[in-house]
Amino acid sequence: MKKNLGLVLAALATGLALFLPAALQAKTRTCVPFYLKTEDGKTINPLSGENADQPYSPRQTCGACHDYGKITQGYHFQQGWNRIKDDFNKKKPWVLSDGMMGKF
Amino acid sequence: MAKKHNNNPDEIDLTPFAFTAAGDPKTPGVPGCGGCHPGGGGLEFDRDGQRYDQRLKADPALAQSLDGDYYQSKWDKTGVVEADCFICHLPGYNFKERNIQLQSLNFKWATVAASGIGLVSGLVKAGQLPKVLYNKRLFNEDGKVVLDLAYPPPAENCVFCHGMSDMKKRGFSWNDRINPDIHNLQGLNCAHCHPAIEDKKLKITKEMHNFAKGQEFVSTVADDLDNTIKTCKECHEQGYMGATRPRHLSIRPNHLDKMACEVCHIPALHRAAFEGFDVTTGQMVNYPKLGAKKIGAEFTWGPAFQRDEHGKLWPVNRFNSVFFTNQDKDGINYPLFARELKKGYDKAKAQLKPKNPMKPEVHTPAQIKIMLATFAETLKGNQRFRQIKPYYHKGGKMYFLNGQREVVSAPDATWAGHIEGFNINHNVAPVSLALGANGCGDCHADKAHMFKGQIVTDMFGPAGKPVTVSAGRLFGCQPWAFTLNQIHQLYLTPYVSGLILLLVFVLVLHYTGQGPKVADFYAAPGEIQRFSLAERWTHLFRLTTFLILTFTGYIFFYNNVSMLRMFFSSQNSAVIIHWLAGLIFVAASIVSLCLWYKDAKFVAYDQEWLKKRGGYIGGQEVEVPAGRLNAGQKIFFWLTLVLSLIMGVTGILLIFKNSLPLTLNCFLSTVHGFVAIIFVAAVIAHAYLGTIANPGTWSAMVDGKVSRLWAKKHHSEWYKEYIAGKDQEESDSGSE
Repeated sequence: MKKNLGLVLAALATGLALFLPAALQAKTRTCVPFYLKTEDGKTINPLSGENADQPYSPRQTCGACHDYGKITQGYHFQQGWNRIKDDFNKKKPWVLSDGMMGKF
Repeated sequence: MAKKHNNNPDEIDLTPFAFTAAGDPKTPGVPGCGGCHPGGGGLEFDRDGQRYDQRLKADPALAQSLDGDYYQSKWDKTGVVEADCFICHLPGYNFKERNIQLQSLNFKWATVAASGIGLVSGLVKAGQLPKVLYNKRLFNEDGKVVLDLAYPPPAENCVFCHGMSDMKKRGFSWNDRINPDIHNLQGLNCAHCHPAIEDKKLKITKEMHNFAKGQEFVSTVADDLDNTIKTCKECHEQGYMGATRPRHLSIRPNHLDKMACEVCHIPALHRAAFEGFDVTTGQMVNYPKLGAKKIGAEFTWGPAFQRDEHGKLWPVNRFNSVFFTNQDKDGINYPLFARELKKGYDKAKAQLKPKNPMKPEVHTPAQIKIMLATFAETLKGNQRFRQIKPYYHKGGKMYFLNGQREVVSAPDATWAGHIEGFNINHNVAPVSLALGANGCGDCHADKAHMFKGQIVTDMFGPAGKPVTVSAGRLFGCQPWAFTLNQIHQLYLTPYVSGLILLLVFVLVLHYTGQGPKVADFYAAPGEIQRFSLAERWTHLFRLTTFLILTFTGYIFFYNNVSMLRMFFSSQNSAVIIHWLAGLIFVAASIVSLCLWYKDAKFVAYDQEWLKKRGGYIGGQEVEVPAGRLNAGQKIFFWLTLVLSLIMGVTGILLIFKNSLPLTLNCFLSTVHGFVAIIFVAAVIAHAYLGTIANPGTWSAMVDGKVSRLWAKKHHSEWYKEYIAGKDQEESDSGSE
């Protein structure tokens, strides 16, 4: 019995030693914790004070893992800007694209 | 949006810089253009593909140039708006804060403040350099930020932009108990129906964040992605995500062909959309639905309906726009910029003396003249026009001043007169509330919204009050045709069964009162050939197909789903059988005309038959002269031919109803139904007379023969001709 109790306690201690640090570290469901970056790519660390008064740049921050260039080709980001031109519509010269940026 | 290349400041409208900062500081909860643009694209790069901030820093003179991307801009100080991923993926994103930051020209700081990762102090608008104070509680000890980002984005984030704008356009709301959506109630979210799409033809990968979308009459953005969303049919036929499979047994097949699902399944919206807008003052003034307190208020209204290029009907919110243009020398009517409108209105206001300066509601000729004359004056010297000729557009009409400076109105033939509606495809009702759930009357009853609902076509008509038109008229059903269609709903459907039963009762009375024309016909042998095989078969074809037509027609007439399910696999199969039977019936009727038209000619002794009413009334048997067909049969013959002709013509046309105008369909179906009732009544009487009222008659249609006794009693003149013919035959054979 005593031998079994010892085994259980040893397993518990090992588990705690392995998982406690990770459990104390906050996690998210999607992105893992990440550094914020300034628009010229420098790390922002509010705890150390490094670039801590600078706004973060989504291009540099999210773009570290995701293809920012590809994502922003989507129509929510372009809203006609990728098709805008001064002579887009000859019948309605004030219409410069078929999106919110350029439409009447 | 301002053009890239301009020759004069007058030509420059909204620059991308002004677009980003647009919005009313008094209402920060309402996003301006930039508030709903997530960043990236035109908020980050100019039309040459260069970052605004870097280029302007390198060439500050651009802000004083006529370059539409830089004119009077401060990109070098505000920074650019990079695509803000958190606007969609961070639950609890503070959109109001985003608007405040953008309107304060803190472009590159907006994402920090709105995401709540940090506080931003200082305003570029006030000439300050903003600073950030990050919320350290969101960071791990190694300095990495920890955010509970959502994938796919929660509906609340989508609704920040789509809620406000689509409420206005089409009465849309989400997670709203007042204005529910059945898909929402079933736990679906925006991304379930609008996922990121992958399309090789369109060269789109999922990573590109292009979301499946439906179609829109008013083209707004990314028309090339129209109809990339799964349709109602696709989900509900495949059972996608557990979607129910409807049978639509009580719905006419052509209704399913000609109407989008949304027509029936979004019978009403419960939040007020806009009726239209008026930009007379230089500001966009939106008007809520007629009778509603404000846009978004709890208010139940029915959509208008609009046809697509295939003639299919869709529910829409038809919006009415009130605005001014200037017709230039090239004949094109250019919309006036907001600042041009404001300048004109500010000057005209003193003469107009509107009750509400924010809502002048210009509608009288005098008011219109003041506005047009003022614009003619304030636009003088405007370098973007080579000719000043202002136009006012309202309610499908255009108004302008003639040479004598009088107001002339005409149907609006310019682009401004082309009015589309915003499609309504959310806030889907549960099936039990869909149109048709309570029968055809949901749409075809006297005051049903589908046809009789009043749709505003001019917000301020000649009397200053809204002008409305019936919903049916807007989608092509003339009022007289709808009234005719009402006869079917109000009078035919409820009373037809009773009238037919009454007829049967009258025949029973006749049978019990007058009695059949009895003689000992069955004892006598059938030795006279009354009808040839061709005649009997023709009659048989007409009889059989008539029974099929009556049976299927009855199912359609009363939309009897129980009988439909009992005898047919679908409504379509019943319709096809009805068509086939109808075509055979018409063909058999033509053959019967060829076979009997000689016998059905009226002769002198028919008058006596009619005078004595065929011996059917009076309680006593009387002798009545008759040829091969008696006068009653002749009347019946010609009557059924006329009825067959009407049924045939209307029926054959109705086979092609999907290609016919709605007004004609209403007319044809009403006539077809009405004549069918007369036909059925006539045939019931004919069946009575041909069977129990005249024993022995029916057998003539079976073996074609009758006894001498029968022939002499019922068709005396024909019998005489028969005897004379026989005698002649015998004498001819004797002389041989």
